[in-house]
Amino acid sequence: MGEQNGLVIEARDLTKVFRDFWHRPRVCAVNGIDLEIKQGEIFGLLGPNGSGKSTTIKMILGLLYPTSGHLAVLGKSPRDVAVKAKIGFMPEESYLYKYLTAVEILNFYAALYGLSGRIKQERVKNLIIQVGLDAARNRPIGEFSKGMARRVGLAQCLLNDPDLILLDEPTSGLDPIACREVKDLLLSLARRGKTILICSHHLADMQDICDRVAILLNGNICAQGAVKELLVNPDTLRLSLQSPSREQLTAILTYIEQETGQRPLVDHSGRTLESVFIETVTRRPAAP
Amino acid sequence: MMLTRTIAIAWLTIREAVRSKLLLSLTCLLVAGLFGLPMLIAGDNTLEGKVQVILTYTLAFATGLLSLTTLWTACGGLSSEIQDRRLYLVLTKPLHRHELWLGKWLGIMGLNIALMGLSGLIISAMTHHAIRNSGDSLKIKRQVSEQFLLARLAVPPLTPDWSQTLSAATQRLLQSGRIPTNMTPEAIRQKLIEEIKIQHFTIPPGGGVQFSFQIPAKFKHGHDLLLRYKFDSTRPERNPVAAQWTIGTAPGPLTHIGVTNYPGIPAVLVLDAQSTAGSNLITVAYQRQDTQSQATLLFADTTQEPELLMPCGSFEMNLIRGLFVILCRLAFLAALGLTAGCLLSTPVALFTAFFILILMASAGYVESVATTGVFYIPHEGPALDPNWLDRAILHIFRGFNVITHPLIQLDPAPLLASGRVVGGKMVLLALGWLAGLYSAISALIGIALFNRRELG
Repeated sequence: MGEQNGLVIEARDLTKVFRDFWHRPRVCAVNGIDLEIKQGEIFGLLGPNGSGKSTTIKMILGLLYPTSGHLAVLGKSPRDVAVKAKIGFMPEESYLYKYLTAVEILNFYAALYGLSGRIKQERVKNLIIQVGLDAARNRPIGEFSKGMARRVGLAQCLLNDPDLILLDEPTSGLDPIACREVKDLLLSLARRGKTILICSHHLADMQDICDRVAILLNGNICAQGAVKELLVNPDTLRLSLQSPSREQLTAILTYIEQETGQRPLVDHSGRTLESVFIETVTRRPAAP
Repeated sequence: MMLTRTIAIAWLTIREAVRSKLLLSLTCLLVAGLFGLPMLIAGDNTLEGKVQVILTYTLAFATGLLSLTTLWTACGGLSSEIQDRRLYLVLTKPLHRHELWLGKWLGIMGLNIALMGLSGLIISAMTHHAIRNSGDSLKIKRQVSEQFLLARLAVPPLTPDWSQTLSAATQRLLQSGRIPTNMTPEAIRQKLIEEIKIQHFTIPPGGGVQFSFQIPAKFKHGHDLLLRYKFDSTRPERNPVAAQWTIGTAPGPLTHIGVTNYPGIPAVLVLDAQSTAGSNLITVAYQRQDTQSQATLLFADTTQEPELLMPCGSFEMNLIRGLFVILCRLAFLAALGLTAGCLLSTPVALFTAFFILILMASAGYVESVATTGVFYIPHEGPALDPNWLDRAILHIFRGFNVITHPLIQLDPAPLLASGRVVGGKMVLLALGWLAGLYSAISALIGIALFNRRELG
């Protein structure tokens, strides 16, 4: 970790230019961004397609090399193998070996992390149960649905009990319940001091779990900060009351109008569709 | 830790070959080819010919098939995984890229060892079966067994003392005053020796020639020896030539064996263990019986003299050594394929692999061009002076020859097919040269390229 400054990821003036066969600059995917992600926070990278999110993630993973600028992950170069031992990565697509079963693929990645013997067996077994694939543990990944393959992707990401977790569209392909479970899992991991970097288009999910976000556009960071701060509109104020009577409400509105000269907007506080879905599905008894 | 990761990658490579049915398809193809080829190819209807067909064609088939699949899997091994992005996830793990490269190479070699072992078992079983179940007489079966089921060391004939003949020829040349001015004295000497040798081995009708062989002191007597020889005729019709071999020298016991051989076709004479017992200097003499023929025989050219083959090990051990040499060649191909796959996309890597395979198959031609400087033999007219393009291509051929030359030198197939021993020297050279130096150079280039490669 960047022990001296407490930063898990530190990027300064980070630039990535893709070149053509003749080494001429073709596209500047990331254009001098500054990024600081602290231990234990959940950081979201947002942006439209082609904004540079994936390129940034790949540079953090050591798959792409920066053209210029400084990038340190856990205080070291992202290409350092010792750094990779502390990182877990879940890609958007399931880049898994389709001919292997869930257990085999986790055993394979565990071997790459240097796990062996009982520790490996127990960790694989626990993760298979944790992601809800115990019944399908010996089926080849090629026979899995997208959601099931994503669960395997999540399990392999957590195999090494990583300090830094990078997730590319973690809830893509998951049903709302699994989606909620993943989000709860990420929140619990963050509470345990793990640092999480998420790259997603699901803004509602990002809003739910991220402490801070950065919005990328054409390789530049357009906005960055704590989610709560970014969502606050300082010119307006919302007042919430627990079921006031009609008389009380009329008196309050009249008072506000007299004092401010503005008629306040009144409506019921809404629920999210996700909360309604989860409540409905979990209340119904399971099919026999 | 490094070993664990490398073995994990090797194991994954093998498992992929098994699960994707590649190993099964390859095994079926290999077994079908090994059993089918000797049935499809007609020999000369002799047991010797049949065994030679088994050894020559099955070995060539197994080597060719495994060379092709090694290049195929090696080229696709890395490039296809980069293309379908499976490698992205693997390379985010604490794994050095050289461990990945090495693991892939070990996995491919693991498959090769299994398939080569299977080929060896089948070839050995087929050879034994062909001899044991043949309808030929026991004598022929024994002769063929002696010829093929024993590894034999080739002993060249002792070089006669040319010194007196050479000095006489030199004197004649000096007296004639026709000394070539464009040749060095050593080149003139070599040319004279060649002419003397040709004169010595040229046999007119009714004529003969004698050869002496010095057998190493450690040789244990009791086995038959084989004399392998070949001659050419000055006549185009190539009629058979009747002759008599005499084994031994007077006043000792002599053994006479009558033979009839065709020009241009290698022949084998069995020297009975009793006729050669007790002596380490064996003398054999060839005497033509056909006094009426017009053909003059050239008994041995300057590159291929008769040779005495003496037993020095079992067929099985010889086959294992030969297969090991082929495995060393496959190790080099695997390294070459992986290096191509590090840099190129799968189709381009495969194209490169085929090019390499064709280049290897043409190693003899490449060597001929590199050493003689001639691309083809002109049918008519004088040879033209090479232009700059010819010279440039010649340099390219010389570059290729540096790579392909050891492949010609380290080919065990002709030795195995003729019952000759695959020596320890060849095994060590194959190990050091092909599996060691060549593979290491390929690996270093491949790993360096792979380390520089970005996965975007």
